[in-house]
Amino acid sequence: MIKPRLNFYIFILLIFCSLQIISLNVNSIEPEEILENKELELRARSIFKNTRCLVCQNQSIDISTAPLAKDLRKVIRKNLVIGQSDKEIYNFLTERYGDFILLNPPFKKETYFLWFFPLVVFLLGIVIFYRKTSKKF
Amino acid sequence: MINKVLKFLPISIFFLIVLIFFYLLISKNDPSKLPSVLLNKEAPKFEAYSLVNKKKFLFDKEFSEELIIVNFFSSWCIPCKTEHNFIKKLSNKKNLKVIGINYKDNENDALEWLNQLGNPYSKIAKDMKGEIAIDWGVYGIPETFIIYKKYIKYRLAGPITKKNFNAFELELNKYYND
Repeated sequence: MIKPRLNFYIFILLIFCSLQIISLNVNSIEPEEILENKELELRARSIFKNTRCLVCQNQSIDISTAPLAKDLRKVIRKNLVIGQSDKEIYNFLTERYGDFILLNPPFKKETYFLWFFPLVVFLLGIVIFYRKTSKKF
Repeated sequence: MINKVLKFLPISIFFLIVLIFFYLLISKNDPSKLPSVLLNKEAPKFEAYSLVNKKKFLFDKEFSEELIIVNFFSSWCIPCKTEHNFIKKLSNKKNLKVIGINYKDNENDALEWLNQLGNPYSKIAKDMKGEIAIDWGVYGIPETFIIYKKYIKYRLAGPITKKNFNAFELELNKYYND
């Protein structure tokens, strides 16, 4: 009697869990914002995904509903329409808001530590592991 | 000897990290507050209309004074209301011009707001679409900038309050006796 019920609850739970995954794909792009030129729209969307919303700081402007995110999307689309390259748009953003606005941190002097530190720790781990294990034999 | 050191290494690293986090927790730095990247750069130019007299806001003319405060505000912004008294205080200072930028506001609401609370601004530019704000790297109003000889010298994100007014004044005084 109990077992099928439990299975049923697990089934319901799994359905809700899977819905959660679906909801992650929901974005806040509003229909009137979308560009008619599909190629430009795709480029716009890929830039949005790499642009941090500065109001809700761990969201991209692709999924944020904050008014500032909407304004930034508008400006980015406007600049794409007048023919700016992705690089020019990223420059536009970082000139105003710094590298912080990029969700993918750029590779440069200031970020060497960020990029290399995990590698250093990993190599250190290998050295320690090698020393520990080789002693035993 | 080396083994002993190695034994205590992980736990000492752990405590070091705990200490660093604890310091960051109790120190006043709010990590969500962003430094302006426009510091020591020229104040971004813009075209706009004035709120009160509805004429064109002439950027070069309005920004010709040596020391200027630029304050982004709106009638719908609640912290702006408490900040308003401090903006008034600043506007009473000599040789200091206070320019307001009315951010994404309804014109009538803004005028009504100023009627009620008083208008400390010598000029107000309308930023209906929020594009001036983006050019200035604004991410949440109120924000206040100190402009000295056309260059941005300081940016305060968030309202001027009782708590930070003195610090703001100190920042401002740096440019009085140059």
